[in-house]
Amino acid sequence: MHVQHPSGPTPAVRVPIAGLLLAAILIGALAACGGAPSSDRAALLARAAALSPADARLADLYQHACKACHVVATSGAPLTGDRDAWQARLKKGLPALVGNAIGGLNGMPAGGQCVRCTAADYAALIRFMAGEAP
Amino acid sequence: MTLSRRQLLAGAAATAAAATVGVAVRQHALEAEPAPPPLQDAQNRLLWRNWSGIQTAYPALRAGPSSEEEVLAALREGPAPVRAVGAGHSFTALVPTEGTLLTLDGLAGIVDHDAGSHQATVWAGTRLGELGPALAAIGQCMPNLPDINKQSLGGAIATATHGSGDHSPALHAQVLAMRIATPARGLIECSANDNPEIFAAARVGLGAFGVVTRYRLQNVASIRLQKRTALRPTAEVIEDWPALRVAHRNAEFFVLPFTGMSATVLHDVTDRPAEPPGKPQDADVLLALKWLRDWAGFAPPLRRRLAQAAMASVKPEESVEEAWKLLSNERDIRFNEMEYHLPRETQMAALAEVLAAIERHRPDVFFPIEVRSIAPDDAWLSPFHDRASGSLAVHAYYKDDYRFLFDLVEPILRRHGGRPHWGKLHSLTARELAPLYPRWREAMAVRRELDPQGRMLNPFLRRLFGDV
Repeated sequence: MHVQHPSGPTPAVRVPIAGLLLAAILIGALAACGGAPSSDRAALLARAAALSPADARLADLYQHACKACHVVATSGAPLTGDRDAWQARLKKGLPALVGNAIGGLNGMPAGGQCVRCTAADYAALIRFMAGEAP
Repeated sequence: MTLSRRQLLAGAAATAAAATVGVAVRQHALEAEPAPPPLQDAQNRLLWRNWSGIQTAYPALRAGPSSEEEVLAALREGPAPVRAVGAGHSFTALVPTEGTLLTLDGLAGIVDHDAGSHQATVWAGTRLGELGPALAAIGQCMPNLPDINKQSLGGAIATATHGSGDHSPALHAQVLAMRIATPARGLIECSANDNPEIFAAARVGLGAFGVVTRYRLQNVASIRLQKRTALRPTAEVIEDWPALRVAHRNAEFFVLPFTGMSATVLHDVTDRPAEPPGKPQDADVLLALKWLRDWAGFAPPLRRRLAQAAMASVKPEESVEEAWKLLSNERDIRFNEMEYHLPRETQMAALAEVLAAIERHRPDVFFPIEVRSIAPDDAWLSPFHDRASGSLAVHAYYKDDYRFLFDLVEPILRRHGGRPHWGKLHSLTARELAPLYPRWREAMAVRRELDPQGRMLNPFLRRLFGDV
């Protein structure tokens, strides 16, 4: 089969100095991988995995929804119990965070995959994950 | 009129500044989070959206049954349409309902298992990400998994969700038996021997035949896989694809548009000790590709050269882990997606056309095109019904325009004999679908028998099944 896409760099294209700079940045982005989590990070992960809301109904909702991402190191979500990560978000105010949970934001899917959650449930779960409620 | 050297330099500087500002303004616009719809409707019903955000609904009732009797009650008494939802990972409008939105989160986990035959009965509400460790604890694993493991088992099976492998069928092919709650006939047990027509028709049932509550799965003994990823020129990978998919248990590759490069991902069974992968690179690579799109999208040759220069330093990677840990990935960058399943013999020709069309017409695209291989099965509404398939999945960043999937990509995939993934974007209705499925008419007859009043059908499904 004929393939229309040449496999190697195109000699005719001259890469300007700015381009080399961009390439260096890209290399940095692409190389930003590997390495085990720091001990602090590992401790946060272990703590996140062990936490669960004290209230039985909230614990059930948490188990089937929030936990799918908020205890996973590579999900991009702030970890349960990581107060530093949550403080930055709580500055927006709890109502704004509840709105983001219902409507979705960036990597956070709308509803946080919790079909049974009410607005009050979202508020309680956010406070729990932020370490502000048992 | 003549210009002085100073005027020329000033003009060039102003032009460069204007161009930089222009790119920055454009990038700012591209970065804006799409405004969500109202969080509640006029009746104070809470918003539901799918994972990518393009499907929305304000259900009158949200049902979370914790028993099969409660599932039946919701099917019979809840306001119609009754639609089951898992993780909301379908991009098509399978789920939206103004009636009853039903989650099986309350029916999750392993019901029972048999160690000798590696079989397990599993509640349909179990998330794939939870099922992996639960099966590992009893020495079993699913033979294959999809790219993402957030979905519920019921949602994944009902939409013919799949992984990759010449000899690996989609998830529904490992179902030995299932129990389905139906509006007209209550709870029904079905298998190849017991109600075989219902088993054949409703296994890939889009949640339109009733709600499957539990599955008997044929798993395999826990296995460890070696995963190898590498960046290679796309032309080489396309050339090697027939050999790669035969030589490896699970082979797939991701074409990176506008770079001339692809990432191959190969899995094989091993008894080597575990070597867990490091931090996943996928999100970093995606952001780098997006960055290239934002800042070099105006000059494809530059974009290509920069990408290749950057990728030259990326080394192949290997890791060894339990299969359930390696076969699925975290995807924290949302997207919209169209995937078609093609005859294997047309897959590479279709890929070449799709790639050429995107690189010619859509410089805004930066997400990879995923290329996989799937073994045939016998479910009547399976896109892999009686056909060894090769799939092509084209993605669009969730903040980006995805209409090109319909205008530019879908005609190519249809021309090459594709059947659409049930959970991913497509424009087909019963008129186009019926000729693609040899048992379509029988499947529709079974559906009407189980749900004669159409309580399971939302407007999208009515168009899909021609039941309007």
